[in-house]
Amino acid sequence: MTAEPEQISMEQWDREYARLRTAGLTEPVYGGPLSRHVADGDTRLLKLRFDNSPAALRLWNFLLTEEDRLRAARESGKKLVGAMKDLGTVPVMAYSLDTLVAFYPDGAWWIPCVMELNTGLLQIADSLGIDESFCPVRAMLGAFVTEAHFPLPDLLTCSVGATCDDFSAIAQRLNGLGHPILWWEIPHRRQAEPGEQAVTLPGGFETPRSQVEFVKSELLRVGVALEELAGRPLDDGALAAGIAKANRVRKLLDRLRHLAFTAPLCPMPALEMLIAEMLAIHFCSDQDETILVLADLLAEVERRVEAGVGHLSTDAARIFWVNPVADLQAMNLLEDCGGRICGTEYLFAHALDPIPTTLSPMEALAQMALADPMVGSSFDRAARVVGDIRRFGAEAVIVSRIPGASHCALEGEIIGRIVREECGLPVLEIEVPSITDAATATLCTRLEALVETVKDRKE
Amino acid sequence: MTEPIRTIMYTCPYVPAEWIAAHGFEPRRMIPMPTDGVSIAPRVEGVCPYARAFINDAAGEDAAGIIVTTLCDQMRRAYDLLVCGSNTPAFLLNVPKTWQTVAAQRMYLDELKRLGRFLVRLGGQTPSNEALAQVMKKRGHSAFVPDAPVLVGPIERKAECPLFVPVAVVGGPLMQRDRVLFDLIEESGGRVVLDATETGLRGQPRAFDRRRMAEDPLMELAEAYFGIPDASRRPNSDLYAWLKEELAKTGPRGIVFHHYVWCDAWRAELARLKEWAGLPVLGVDSSGNGETNVARLRTRIHAFLEMLE
Repeated sequence: MTAEPEQISMEQWDREYARLRTAGLTEPVYGGPLSRHVADGDTRLLKLRFDNSPAALRLWNFLLTEEDRLRAARESGKKLVGAMKDLGTVPVMAYSLDTLVAFYPDGAWWIPCVMELNTGLLQIADSLGIDESFCPVRAMLGAFVTEAHFPLPDLLTCSVGATCDDFSAIAQRLNGLGHPILWWEIPHRRQAEPGEQAVTLPGGFETPRSQVEFVKSELLRVGVALEELAGRPLDDGALAAGIAKANRVRKLLDRLRHLAFTAPLCPMPALEMLIAEMLAIHFCSDQDETILVLADLLAEVERRVEAGVGHLSTDAARIFWVNPVADLQAMNLLEDCGGRICGTEYLFAHALDPIPTTLSPMEALAQMALADPMVGSSFDRAARVVGDIRRFGAEAVIVSRIPGASHCALEGEIIGRIVREECGLPVLEIEVPSITDAATATLCTRLEALVETVKDRKE
Repeated sequence: MTEPIRTIMYTCPYVPAEWIAAHGFEPRRMIPMPTDGVSIAPRVEGVCPYARAFINDAAGEDAAGIIVTTLCDQMRRAYDLLVCGSNTPAFLLNVPKTWQTVAAQRMYLDELKRLGRFLVRLGGQTPSNEALAQVMKKRGHSAFVPDAPVLVGPIERKAECPLFVPVAVVGGPLMQRDRVLFDLIEESGGRVVLDATETGLRGQPRAFDRRRMAEDPLMELAEAYFGIPDASRRPNSDLYAWLKEELAKTGPRGIVFHHYVWCDAWRAELARLKEWAGLPVLGVDSSGNGETNVARLRTRIHAFLEMLE
């Protein structure tokens, strides 16, 4: 039933889907041909190229049916938690209570891409004074106004403090429109000073004990709100079970990333790997199904590595990618230009590290929240990038700026400088808007130049 | 021969000048000039011109130390560039965005204590409660910013100047050249009755409570400064509560709202302010270089004031 690895178009996928069905493909309830999502308005899919495995099909279908899942959860009596600016903390807490479903409203930032600006979400944001000087996550405002992309959550949480100004300002605008928000503070992570007790966080950063205690107190506040919403206590036992499940997701991703980034032939393309990584932070509204989807994907990758098959050639330039892209097509473009992804820091590297199970659950979650590369200095983030470059053997780095994002204008300089100094690798900064069509030629020229540089250095 | 007083540079209103002075340093709240040419923040696009200008100016001064705060993400990240591009010791003060919890208030107080230890490492002396209270008493009603350039003179209330159109100026911080905004308002027949910018009245702490100052001056200092309203706080309802009171007191007929390009916190408030204020609001943005904007600004302000007459 399984074909040789290939990247195929939507049209080809439809034919392949028919073949797979005839061959006996079984699918979960959200399964079906990818082209049906185009009929729902996801027209960008027509311009992407997809991995041709059933596991990748399941991944895409899982991603593109999240709204249905949220509405079904509400109809079944579950309460919805919108965890904003939260890269893997509150969702773990919420999923520890079986009457809650957490989702990531910020994920709406991909709607203008996937639906090719046809939804009017950015125009709504414009009309609310949140114009193109803000990050594309402003589409979230439009999604709240139209209620057409996710149901309004029963509880909205948002982390603030050491977070980007764009999102904080957009969330405040949302709050000003009458949506209550539980704000919780994540302080800028700093080094312990002489006389202060230091804590080594998962991932290796250090912080003073006082910051961990502070974040713990903030998470306890969030926990109380979750308990009230769920109508049941969020005790250590429930949290420990929730953490164990989150760790299963992270373990699967860790193995998946290791194989995808280090195998001689790329066993899974960049686009599918990006989607897979994103599941770690919010589980696409179904934690159990996330585990199954990733397990399926991993099995496919293991099979390909074992068989020595994959995408691209063995001499593809090994690229480390920093920051997620607003236009998914950019990942296809990199491969078109002769590059492959060998390491990523999509703003949430910490959410891929296992949550410690030897600590009290709230202590472990507080430490994880503080381990976020974005809440510390750009030097810290660069150090994490350097560590992962060495781990995966990347040969060049792309720092992909998000248009308007407050952190992108300043951190690229430091990350680039440190990567050059520590690893001696070429670094390219690019900007990827929600739709790259108008800039494809320029973008490709820059990507090709980087790939060529990498190949020249090998010779 | 007495030792020269050493200067500590800062710009954020959440840095208490009294705390610096009580440690034996001269606090200097810097109102920067726009950055032209080479900068320690090489990139221009996407970078708040105020943050860029501040780190550039601060790095060029002969100061004993520089204090940056986490009030906005751009300043937080500009700090990283500052420490790369300057040998002057720098300190990043964590200012919580939330303000309604005891934990956030406590964190701010702890951060001031940490700042105190930084100042001691620079050669300052830990002040006694009495010494700090003494410095706080000196401040009086107006902000304790000895070296900060004055952007606007004493505000005249509407009753004192009936021939002028009273307006409020609301927004984030202003750079030196942005005083042109006030000049243009006056030139167009207006009078600023409320300066609600960060460098104006809004950026000043409330008056200290004498009793509490005597009992626990650092706590009183922290409470006064942590109470400064700002667009970046979450929620920022305290900003609107403060504006409501001040607008009622001063009675402007319109609001001139200023923000820098790439300043998300203030940019996002413009539409909300228009919905909320019940007064005409003119939004003006700037790159911080007043010279390039002046003609456009003059026309806009003139038209706005004409409409308010």
